[in-house]
Amino acid sequence: MAETIDYLQFILAPQALNGLSLGVAVVLMALGLTIIFGLLDVINMAHGEFYAMGAFLALSLAGLGVGFWALLVLVPLLMIPIGWAAERWLIQRVFHSRDRHILTLLLTFGLGMILEDVLKLAYGPNTMRPETPIAGGTEILGMFLPNYRLFLIGFGLALIAAVWVVVFRTRLGAMVRAAAFDKDMASSLGVPVRRVYAGTFAFGVALAGLSGVLLAPIYSVFPTMGRDFILMAFTVVIVGGMGSIQGAVVAGLLLTQVQAISSLYISPVWSDPLVFGIMVLVLMVRPRGLFGRLGNA
Amino acid sequence: MREAVMTAVSLPRSPSRGPLNATHWLALLFLAVALVFAAVAWTTGNGFYLRLATEALIFAGLAMSVDLLLGYTGLLSLGQALYFGLGAYVSALVLRDGAPSFWLATGAALAAGALAGLVGGVIANRVKGVYFALITFGLAQVVAKAVYNTRELGASDGIIGIPQIRVTLGPLALDTADPLSFFLFVLGLTMAVYAGLAYLMDAPFGRTLAAIRANEKRVPFLGFNAWGHKLAVYVLAACVAALSGALYPMLRGFVSPELLFFHTSGNAVVTVIVGGVGTLIGPIAGSVLLTALRSVVGSWTEHHLIVVGVIFMLSVIFLRKGLVGALLPWLERRAAARARHGRRSAP
Repeated sequence: MAETIDYLQFILAPQALNGLSLGVAVVLMALGLTIIFGLLDVINMAHGEFYAMGAFLALSLAGLGVGFWALLVLVPLLMIPIGWAAERWLIQRVFHSRDRHILTLLLTFGLGMILEDVLKLAYGPNTMRPETPIAGGTEILGMFLPNYRLFLIGFGLALIAAVWVVVFRTRLGAMVRAAAFDKDMASSLGVPVRRVYAGTFAFGVALAGLSGVLLAPIYSVFPTMGRDFILMAFTVVIVGGMGSIQGAVVAGLLLTQVQAISSLYISPVWSDPLVFGIMVLVLMVRPRGLFGRLGNA
Repeated sequence: MREAVMTAVSLPRSPSRGPLNATHWLALLFLAVALVFAAVAWTTGNGFYLRLATEALIFAGLAMSVDLLLGYTGLLSLGQALYFGLGAYVSALVLRDGAPSFWLATGAALAAGALAGLVGGVIANRVKGVYFALITFGLAQVVAKAVYNTRELGASDGIIGIPQIRVTLGPLALDTADPLSFFLFVLGLTMAVYAGLAYLMDAPFGRTLAAIRANEKRVPFLGFNAWGHKLAVYVLAACVAALSGALYPMLRGFVSPELLFFHTSGNAVVTVIVGGVGTLIGPIAGSVLLTALRSVVGSWTEHHLIVVGVIFMLSVIFLRKGLVGALLPWLERRAAARARHGRRSAP
């Protein structure tokens, strides 16, 4: 009995909490992806590069003496015009063609390629590690947890809740959902659909940038940092249902737990194939994912 | 009946007019340029560029397999590297641990490609559109991570020390170690695969694929099995990719898990789009052009991704049918003009 409690307290619980902090970050990334898909039908392959961009922006601004708390506001604000421009100048060019799913996917893939190389050009290929903005740790129930991870969990959950409130409880969110459900009808009822499109894309990009700021102190900063992370975010979005906000949250927290807990029993290098295997299974059995789309939820 | 479906929706320019149409002329032109290049490289004794060109042709095979799915059937595969890498690994293992036989290695790679293609095709063809792209992506990721973590397959180092082999073609024999003869061999093989696929795409099989691309729902009403055709083309594409992959270790003497990564699949898609989707010759030309471009830009700066990325995005936005697609109407106009001219000058 005592052994079981020890096992729960010292092995399982810390692993689950680590999984939770990663899960919150993955959900933030996945939220941007899924909202963009739900509204625009665009799979943003450059999302990982926007995430890396946020981390590098934070690094540069911190070098100029901007504090961590200001970064949390400043970086997303800086990312908004970038996302807005990408939507207006790139996505809209192929948005009305018949193959827009595939064309926008290819276009954002190309954009990601360029952005990654631009980051390499500007910052060099080496790994950088910003200092942890919140030092120290706290002991909870005999477990020692770094304060920054606790902050990440709390802040991330608050942010997810805020996105939820905006999308489902405000007039702005109603416009977004209406445009996702039927853009022509929304447009004839006075919703500025084009601005909603650009704004939503910019919002998703800003969320990716913000995740970059939050995760930089944990996972270091390098130009290809988005690559591994974006795979996980895509998996989450697919399992949860493309374009579903509930789905992204549930699948994000669930899959990161699977990853964290399974790495106790199997070699951690095999937890990635396991998670992808789950994704392939979900796509086979229920291609639409666990939950419905943005406009229909 | 089938023609009626074709014209009801806007299809890519139907290439099947006459035994030798503009696309086939482009293929012959490409072959001629390649032979001139080989002659020049041989007289100047430049083995490096011959090897680079051979690699371009090998990746052209991968690009053709993407084009079969994307250009002819309308299925975007983001995981074609899975079959390319599988072919490369199987070929490498056969050459190193089995017999140093070209035919055994490619045969094994083709069999593995067909089998994996069958399994992958059954899984991927359950879904359509974007989901197809994502499931192929996911499948390739699972396998790539698995290979990357398997020590028996060399894990992150891959398999090295693959012996050079001697390929026997009836009375002829050539060494893969000799850059010129291996280049000519791969060139011949690539053009043979091109010819076979181009023929197949003009045959009823290919026309059915075009119908699936245009409107999949109507195909069963005309008495054709859409699912079976999609599975067949998926397996075919897997075999083409595996065959190309099988050549890679013969050229480079090693395989690495990078061959299986998304990078490889993504590059193949870029090649197809830049070269010309739905033309088969476009991907070959695109592969050669992009390899040359990377080599040239690479001599100035290591940041060739920016250049390639910009070209790729411009192709997506402005040249929907790629370089070959932009050239084709012009070539066809010229051919038509020449035909008119020929009639007028005839007595």
